Amino acid sequence: MNYSINEIKLDLQAQFDNSADLSVRVFTLKSVLRIQAAVITMEGLVDKEQLSQSVLNPLLSFDYGTKDSAAVSDTVFSSVMASSDVIKLSCADEIVTYITSGFAVLFVDGADELYAVGVQGYSFRGVSEPESEVVQRGSREGFTEPLRVNMSMIRRRMKTPDLKFEQMTVGTDSKTQLMLCYLQSQVSLDLLNKLKNRLNDCKLETVLASGYLSEYLEDKGSGSLFSGVGISERPDTVCGKLTEGRIAVIVDGTPAVMIVPHLFVEEFQSVDDYSNRTYYAAFIRLMKYLSFFVSVFLPGLYVALAQFHPEYFPTWLLINTSESLAKTPFPVTVEVLAITVVYEIMKEAGLRIPKSLGHAVSIVGALVIGDSAVNAGIISASTLMVVATAAICGYVTSPLYPPIMMLRLFFIVVGGFTGLWGITLATAVVLIGMCAKTSLGVPYLSSLSPFSLRRMRDVFIRADWKRLSRHTIRVQKFPETEVRDADRG
Amino acid sequence: MQTEVKFSSKRFLLALLLCACSVILLQNNNLSPNASFSFNAICIASGLAICFLFFLPSLILKKRTDSDVPTLARRYTPKLRIPVAIFYSLYFVYGALYFLLPYIDMFHTKYFPGVTPCLITLLMLICCAYAACKGVNVISRFGIFLFLFALLTNILMFGGSLSELDLGHYGFEFRGDVNSFVQNTLYFVTPSFIAVIFACCSGVTRNFRFRQPVFTLIFTGLKYAAVIFFVRFALGDYAGRQTYPAFVLSRVAHFGPFAGIESFYLALATMSVFMIISLFLCCISRGACTEGNRKCVIIFTVIIFALYVTATYINSVKEILSNPVLLLLLTFAAAVMLPAAYIFVGRKSNAKGN
Amino acid sequence: MRRAISILLTVVTVIFTGCSNSRQIETASIIKNVSVDRRGGQVVYTFYRLTSAQKPWGIDVPADSFEQACALAGEKFIPNLSLAKLELLMLSEDVYEQVMQDDVDYISTQASFSPIAYVTICDDGAIDRIKETNRTQTLIEEQLILIKKNNPSVNINYLSIFNNFAREGEESFTVPYISSEKELKVSEFKIDREKMKKFSK
Repeated sequence: MNYSINEIKLDLQAQFDNSADLSVRVFTLKSVLRIQAAVITMEGLVDKEQLSQSVLNPLLSFDYGTKDSAAVSDTVFSSVMASSDVIKLSCADEIVTYITSGFAVLFVDGADELYAVGVQGYSFRGVSEPESEVVQRGSREGFTEPLRVNMSMIRRRMKTPDLKFEQMTVGTDSKTQLMLCYLQSQVSLDLLNKLKNRLNDCKLETVLASGYLSEYLEDKGSGSLFSGVGISERPDTVCGKLTEGRIAVIVDGTPAVMIVPHLFVEEFQSVDDYSNRTYYAAFIRLMKYLSFFVSVFLPGLYVALAQFHPEYFPTWLLINTSESLAKTPFPVTVEVLAITVVYEIMKEAGLRIPKSLGHAVSIVGALVIGDSAVNAGIISASTLMVVATAAICGYVTSPLYPPIMMLRLFFIVVGGFTGLWGITLATAVVLIGMCAKTSLGVPYLSSLSPFSLRRMRDVFIRADWKRLSRHTIRVQKFPETEVRDADRG
Repeated sequence: MQTEVKFSSKRFLLALLLCACSVILLQNNNLSPNASFSFNAICIASGLAICFLFFLPSLILKKRTDSDVPTLARRYTPKLRIPVAIFYSLYFVYGALYFLLPYIDMFHTKYFPGVTPCLITLLMLICCAYAACKGVNVISRFGIFLFLFALLTNILMFGGSLSELDLGHYGFEFRGDVNSFVQNTLYFVTPSFIAVIFACCSGVTRNFRFRQPVFTLIFTGLKYAAVIFFVRFALGDYAGRQTYPAFVLSRVAHFGPFAGIESFYLALATMSVFMIISLFLCCISRGACTEGNRKCVIIFTVIIFALYVTATYINSVKEILSNPVLLLLLTFAAAVMLPAAYIFVGRKSNAKGN
Repeated sequence: MRRAISILLTVVTVIFTGCSNSRQIETASIIKNVSVDRRGGQVVYTFYRLTSAQKPWGIDVPADSFEQACALAGEKFIPNLSLAKLELLMLSEDVYEQVMQDDVDYISTQASFSPIAYVTICDDGAIDRIKETNRTQTLIEEQLILIKKNNPSVNINYLSIFNNFAREGEESFTVPYISSEKELKVSEFKIDREKMKKFSK
């Protein structure tokens, strides 16, 4: 099919409704037949200097002689263009996708080829350390918004042809690009196909962040408190996961890369564990598990004991606790819930508040809640200690903070109404839910339950590298997965 | 679906071990007080030997067909499938109430005397129904965590009672009579209900070995012996005045000024009964319809609750539901007779096929 | 819809299951020790409440037995009475023959009592000392642990005393005795089984 400049120009102007940022530059080439060519771009998305140097200048300065449109088009592609990033489009429908991604679409009037030239020049945030995953000894690089930059960060670390990127598009309006990233020899084709099917089932109009897609990737019927999709902003973490047969989903416009399948024990692992000494890594891991339990159970247990089983407090603590609680007007359950909610409000406010006001808010928070409320007898010091300890412990495993928060509230209510017995039953129910949960067919509590002694080397402790490297981990080889390790044939 | 994935037989039998061990936690002075420790040890051995005999038909069935009774009923005797399902449902409803009644009674008297037991039962059953909908595989995974917790509780209970052991006054002499032997052995045959669970659910397990149930029963016996030993030598005659001696043992256990181990006992008893009833409901849904079928589980949960309420108000119903002899007879039918029948049916079908 | 109904049912059950049975820590009167002596010809049980104050807060309840004293204390004197933290029962030497066996028997039937709480016989001076300061109980308990360490045959808690009452074939058993001549001192005290009622199982 031969492409006409006028037709395509009119078509695009109609599609974009004469949007101000659409630019269609038509020019006549140096040829006997006075053949015209057009370059279509979106304002602000292209690097104009690069466009001039690698596309326009070579195009306009070349003498095409008596060549016809088709020959001119071939010459432009093979000999004229100075850019290395040139993609041949399969149809005119792809023009919009490419120009909105910062490409310049170039074609010769009357020829049957369209070329997209990579001259992206939009502004984006530079590579910086991810705030949500700070480490001491690992890399300081984190993913950014542009897809290609993120791909390059992974490619730089995995210098193997086994690494593959597979492109997909989601969002009927946003047409967001995403890349499936995996190691061909490690990944299970069954897992890959499952993932692709789920992404294809996504009928969202706009996909502005990876979080939009994570619910589509979750298994049906599994508990929704914990997420079966891992998120990371660190290229080194993602590369480590790829070697275990997992798949990374990089979404354009968001630095958070999704990794599937995702297991519970991974929430307690970090890059620093693999850089530090084994004994220290083990200590930190165990401390994380302890913090998790303290954060989830401490307020609920405190409420249950204070409300139903005060005799379980040691005598010295019993005296102090009962006297401090006796001064406050509210039952201990209400107190704990109120402080927990107030703390969450402060946390949210701290996230949204402008930095210049942050100091004032922290002073107000510390004084008003920490000091004045206790002195005024509105809340008790022991309750405040318990809630504060639980809150701090919750940040040790910050990816788990949302489920920790929900479970904490749940156990406070259960403990306040039914005591230790209710907490026991609730724990059993939550555990059952976690045991039933799967992440793309892999049991969420894998290594713990189903138990695997070999894999415990990297759960509560971190065995030394010599031992860890003896057996490679593949998620499709975990016991009781529904993922087949299909033969590649 | 995780209900369709086969899982390790070792883990399944670990879950059954936990169920069997919970029997002694809910003991309500069923043992003869005149019997000595060594006499009780022999009763344990004989009781568990009978349990193993109850296990045998389903073990043989599993070994030969790698399947369980409900699956074979569907395959070989489709017309008898419904009566078999009804019988197993009846058994498991009875079994659930058999364990629920003493647990709620213990819980109500020791911890929550002011609350209506029916409410406690309802909440418990709701949680068990939720677990049963997830399937045997998931419950057995939960069993790993329960095993660790049980280990911790037992270490605390026994370790904390060490300082109260009085081996001088309570000797190891052999003392008991025939009636006591029968009574105590009957009590120690109670764990045979795990053979019925095995008969219903063994089809979803893999890597089965004959020694696994043997180890299960051996460890059950060790646990029973340990509890009886500590109750005898640490509590002495004090245990005789108490209902639920295991509870008292947890009360006595202490490490210096640190006590409160009965909270661990409560948690362990709760989770054990939760697991037993969840497994029972699972087996019912496996036999009556498909594993994890929500409607089936809810219907039988309501039936169990209704029977519990009835038992609370009508004593004769309670007596029937707490009758160990009736449980034993039903267990014999469910664990021995039916699996044995299907061994025979399976052999006949194989012979016809050949 | 079904999920909402089942969650609602669970929430309602949770709420109604426990709220009537709470014994809140701030309102519970937790008793840490009880002393029994004779005053004006009557046996008086004094319940000492757990408090951070130096001086103990004791309530006298005249009664013939511990069972009666607990019932009266809960009804008339001490609301929200909780004996779950009872650590020490002190019996004056002129009342122990009358009340000890029945009281230990009663305590053994109560689920809330800890079987390892201490029981000791003492003179009136020790009972007076315990009214003066909270430190006295701590001193007594330290002495009891010491005597048990030095002489394992001494029975210092409910559990062992109960078992000794129930045991046949022994004429006497030893319990601790607290004297307060100059300072609190613990020694052994032999109890003859013949002096008290025969304990029937």
